[in-house]
Amino acid sequence: MAAAKRSKPPPPNNPVPVATDPRVLRRAHFLMRLSRAWDARFEAMARVGRIGRWYSAVGNECTTVGTALALGANDAISTVHRDLGAVLTTYLDPTRLAPALFEDGDATPWDALRPSPQSLLDQLASQVFGRRGGFTRGVDRSFHYGLVRPDWGIRHVGMISHLGSMIPVAAGLALANLQDGNDRAVLGFIGEGATSQGDFHEALNLAGVMKLPLILVVENNRYAFSTPLSEQFACEKLSDRAPGYGIAGETIDGLDFDAVHAAMNRAVARARAGEGATLLECMLPRMRGHAEGDGSYELIPPAEREAYLRQDPLVRFEASLIERGHADVERIREVTEIARGIIEDAVERALLTEEPALTEATRPVFAPGEVATAFARQSTEVTGG
Amino acid sequence: MAETTYIDAIRRALGEEMDRDAAVFLMGQDIAAFGGAFRASKGLFEKHGRLRVINTPLMESGAIGAALGAALVGKRPVLEMQFADFVSCGFNQIVNNVAKTYYRWEAPVPMVIRLPFGGGAGAGPFHSQSPEAWFAHTPGLCVVAPSTPRDALGMLKAAIRDPNPVIYLEHRFLYRREKEDLPEGDLLTPLGRAHVAREGRDVTILSWSWTLHESLAAAEELAKEGVSVEVIDLRTLSPLDEETIFASVRKTSKVLIVHEATITAGFGAELAARVADQCFEWLDGPVRRVAYADRPSPYNKKLELSLLPGRERITAALRKLARY
Repeated sequence: MAAAKRSKPPPPNNPVPVATDPRVLRRAHFLMRLSRAWDARFEAMARVGRIGRWYSAVGNECTTVGTALALGANDAISTVHRDLGAVLTTYLDPTRLAPALFEDGDATPWDALRPSPQSLLDQLASQVFGRRGGFTRGVDRSFHYGLVRPDWGIRHVGMISHLGSMIPVAAGLALANLQDGNDRAVLGFIGEGATSQGDFHEALNLAGVMKLPLILVVENNRYAFSTPLSEQFACEKLSDRAPGYGIAGETIDGLDFDAVHAAMNRAVARARAGEGATLLECMLPRMRGHAEGDGSYELIPPAEREAYLRQDPLVRFEASLIERGHADVERIREVTEIARGIIEDAVERALLTEEPALTEATRPVFAPGEVATAFARQSTEVTGG
Repeated sequence: MAETTYIDAIRRALGEEMDRDAAVFLMGQDIAAFGGAFRASKGLFEKHGRLRVINTPLMESGAIGAALGAALVGKRPVLEMQFADFVSCGFNQIVNNVAKTYYRWEAPVPMVIRLPFGGGAGAGPFHSQSPEAWFAHTPGLCVVAPSTPRDALGMLKAAIRDPNPVIYLEHRFLYRREKEDLPEGDLLTPLGRAHVAREGRDVTILSWSWTLHESLAAAEELAKEGVSVEVIDLRTLSPLDEETIFASVRKTSKVLIVHEATITAGFGAELAARVADQCFEWLDGPVRRVAYADRPSPYNKKLELSLLPGRERITAALRKLARY
């Protein structure tokens, strides 16, 4: 197997001039550091068995934050398991969460709609621990939930474990925009593994036929659990599939914030202009295993692993901030420390929260109405008979 | 009053609900200008346009997933599977994504999936199946199977208005054979409520859809022999209206379950179990089933007819049961 054939990132096919707004860079830096601090905390807990399983997003931050930052209020996102950066970017008003790090004029109109960032972070931490205060109150794990609150400008649909199944759902979110005649875009995330599933094809074909305002970001981290690219697909780049669907496609270096953000801005502009969908393949390093401690990381040849670790997108982003005069070493340290403190506090608070009430296990499967009422009348409710 | 066929009733329900609520839209294969394989949506594309009567590419899984996405942001999609048999291509989206969403994060999923199902047309193994048990087994899905134009209309309208996913089984054999005079107005049939289609004293039949009509014919036959048969039209299979079923069983003390789907692990098995559990003291005979043999549906019409649970088999089963 020619596993190494595509192990190097292809050159970005769309070099972009560096001109990103410093307000965007400040926000991006903080959100990426927040995501990284979260992963560091949960990886540590996974190592000592305090949580059952953790799927780390280390290495994906530039892509998840860089794309999500191009969206506005009530654009929608659909996420899978390494998209914490996009979730935080969508949910949080960083200017309220870490006021010391931001300047007047950094807050956006969307921030004014968003609820208390602390409360959402606490809910997210409780969600991951399966506690009472989480979005599912203990009935489903980590990022397996959604948060649709148009009044907050947030339309987020999370994953089921059948990852490819979420691509048509993202297409459906985009379809609703088309029906409403608005110019909102939808950002869906998927790994390269799920691009082999039938739902990838059905959703992108529909997106092409209907010109849906959908941007599908493929986080290509080169291994699906243990399966390398050479055993996953035979095309050179996944974006080569885009013309087959009649949609736009780009493969970019997912470690280059400017390239990611610029490509996403182009894709969003196409979506808003009614020009249809984009398949955006972001090449990422495999910096962690599938899940922490599941043995999949060790399968990657050591030299390849070391090369990936040297490509850390956050280190690269911070170096570019310094190089371009947006930050100095002291500022980098300050952002890192504040982000770590915020996550530490959220995790500590969540660990003190209660387990869900046992009645959550038997809560309704139907939304209130005559079906729900009829369900509750049955003799099989709820003991199983 | 106008004579309305079963398929007319479905078309009327779709049209009325689309007029009533702008969030309602249709998705399926060949449903737009063509009006669908059975013309259920004929005329609606001309009135509502391509964004509310959506011709999809040939897809099931992706269409159901897309409908879920739209439902999560306030739409009320009504999907047509061209034949119920093809819903298997969308099975994962239904049982894992659509059905589990409300339990997981309490987002309502108002969605109807219409399944033209059933045999009698010599259509072979891939255009004749009765898949209700696949879905009745899955928590979070409402499964309905109307047998009359009145209920086809009222239950489809109720299904579209309900905030939950509804699997709507419409029998192809009934489309143009069942006719009723239906009044104008907003006619709704409650979901989760069975209907006593014929009152009787000696034996209870539990059935739905096409076999309900065969059961009524068999009951008529038994009446000539002095056996009074009560026929319950379940209408909604899940959640089940046990109150109506158990009241009938406790009155007659004998139960025959009749369905077109194959017998093993069919929905009749669930009915038999609940009756045995809740009505044991009242039973005067075995809980019997008349259903399809455990075979795919053969193509040749004579072969198919030999397996379909029609009135002769029901009549024979009733005679035996009445002797207990």
